[in-house]
Order: sequence, then structure tokens, then C-alpha cells
Amino acid sequence: MGILFTRMLSSIFGNREARILVLGLDNAGKTTILYRLQMGEVVSTIPTIGFNVETVQYNNIKFQVWDLGGQTSIRPYWRCYFPNTQAIIYVVDSSDTDRLVTAKEEFHAILEEDELKGAVVLVYANKQDLPGALDDAGVTEALELHKIKNRQWAIFKASAIKGEGLFEGLDWLSNTLKSGGG
Amino acid sequence: MFSLFYGLWKYLFSKTEFHVLILGIDKSGKTTLLEKLKSLYSNLEGLPPDRIVPTVGLNIGRLEAAQAKLVFWDLGGQIGLRTIWEKYYEEAHAIIYVIDAANPSNFESSKSALEKILRHEDLRGAPLLILANKQDLPGAISAEELARYLDLKELDERLYMFEAISAYDGMGIKNSIEWLVEVMERSKRTETLRMRAGAAGQV
Repeated sequence: MGILFTRMLSSIFGNREARILVLGLDNAGKTTILYRLQMGEVVSTIPTIGFNVETVQYNNIKFQVWDLGGQTSIRPYWRCYFPNTQAIIYVVDSSDTDRLVTAKEEFHAILEEDELKGAVVLVYANKQDLPGALDDAGVTEALELHKIKNRQWAIFKASAIKGEGLFEGLDWLSNTLKSGGG
Repeated sequence: MFSLFYGLWKYLFSKTEFHVLILGIDKSGKTTLLEKLKSLYSNLEGLPPDRIVPTVGLNIGRLEAAQAKLVFWDLGGQIGLRTIWEKYYEEAHAIIYVIDAANPSNFESSKSALEKILRHEDLRGAPLLILANKQDLPGAISAEELARYLDLKELDERLYMFEAISAYDGMGIKNSIEWLVEVMERSKRTETLRMRAGAAGQV
């Protein structure tokens, strides 16, 4: 399945350099999702400290992951990773209702970035397996996704641990990029 | 100095960008319509109908049609997601409401969702295009029959039209869009939105 997705993506981007940012607060499940897509098995991850960027290169597409939030002094360096970004995958821990406000603020702040204006947005309402997790409508409301009016977005319920919902989201992403979304 | 003239030139000659909301309950064919619009009015291919999945968010189409700049907002129609529709009302110049004309069991919920839209204050005066979609399917009812069935009460001062279309094969779409552009250009709502944008721009 992971290989299938790789093929879909490379047929979209051809030989162009492309970037997909995978962002969210710490402990949202970003790295787990990436591993899950790549090899279908969950690898335990160590919380990211400081500004630690994880990169997975698939042909000409770079998936880059880092935590939003935390120290403001390192934020200017984030911009090094913005050029040529076609999509942002935003991962939310749907059960961590205390931090959804922070997740919302960080999310809208990053969407303000000039170099990310053309990127489409895929949101994973992750950790649906946990009790008390908000559903897609609930996370939509909490993140105020309706404020996005100039680019395509979609939200998918997901459980990275169980591997649910991930490919539905990627299907949407590859369709959207293919039909010239943005 | 240059910027002054540029501003004047822009004021006189730039086209208004019209925001058109595409609404309707799930499976009525909103995204299929949007993709068809892309293929009819731009050099984008548009997704073939068999690749389209239910929308859980916002799809956007930016097109030029009938000498106007149009931005289409296609919002997901599943019941849990309809709460976000109204967040887009304030900035919309017009509404396209899509109904699956070949599926009578959905007419009642289509009607009540539409009535709710028409009652909303933020959409006051927005022109309304109601599409009897899926004319390519056997048993699809005509635009007139749909109008009779819906029997809408709150249309008094609103510019509206019923049209039979097929988002699948494209039937009726160009007519509908021409009508929509024409009424948006002369609607009071467009004037109101323009003034509001102008006022915001001066701050």
C-alpha cells in the first residue's frame, strides 16, 4: 500500500522537487503516521527535542516532520523548509482536548507563511482509538478550519496505531494535487 | 504617483471576483459539478467522476467564465459537517444548491437543508441557482417538477432559477453559469459586498 502511494505521488510530481510537511504539536502522532505509511508497522518514537527535523525521502518528494509549539527563538529556522511545499499534513491528538487551542493557534500561524500559501491542507484527527477523542466535526470546530478560504482542505479521522484512516487521507491528497488544487 | 494611477486603473478595469458556494446534502454531486466546471472553463482536466470521494472539508475551483472571475467553494454535505457551511455565508455572492433529481428518497432532507439556508441572515439577497442534477440517470425529475416539489416559500425578493443539469456529462451547466454571472453582476448583494470590502480596505 505504501508503495502504491509512492507511485501515485511520483506520477503527480514527475521529476519536480516536492515537499510535504507533516506538522503538529509534540506527541500528536506524526512520526508514527509516517512510519506506518512507509512500512506498515509502528515504530516507537522518542519525543522530539529542540528543532529536530525528521526527513523521509521518497523519490523526489521529501516528507519533513517537526513539532510546532515551544521555543519561539528557533522558529525563524523553520522557513528553510518552506519552499516548494505542495501540501501540509497537520496531525492532531483528538483526545488531548486541553491542548487543542494551542494546536489551533500554531496551525493558523503556520498557514500565514507566504511560502506556504499554495499548499493544500490535510488534517488527521488522530488517536481516534483513545476514549474521549473528538470526531472529525469536533476537531474541525476546534481548529476553526472554516477560516481557511483560499486553499483546499480536508479532515480525516485516523488512528495511526491501528493504521486506520491514513490511506483515505492520502487518497484525497493525491487526487487534490492531481486536479490542480490549491 | 504610479501607484495612484495603478490604483485607479485597477478600480476601473479589474473584474470583481465572485464567490460562489456550492451546497447540497451528501451524494448530490457537488464535487462532480466542481470538477466538471474545471474541465469546461479552464485547462485543468478535472477529476473523472469515478475518482471522486466524499468531501470532508473544502474544495476550491478558480475559474474564468462568462468574462467573470469566479471562485467556487464546494463544502462537504455530510450531516456532521454542515455546521461549517454558515461560516462561509457572509462572503458568498451566490449559492448553487445541488439536488440529486433521480433520488426521491432524498428530496425531503434536501428541502429542509435548503430552507435552513434561505432563512439565514448572512445570505440575505444572495442569488440562488437550484440544480436538478443527475439528468443522465433514468427517472430524474425535471427542473419544473423539482420546483413544484420543493414549493419554496421564502424566495420573495431573491433572484433564483431552477435548472436541470448533469454534472456527469455536462448538460445544462453552461446555461446555468451564464445566468449566475449575469445575476451576480446586477444583484444588490454584490454591491453590498463590494462596499464592505472597500470599507475594510481603507482601514
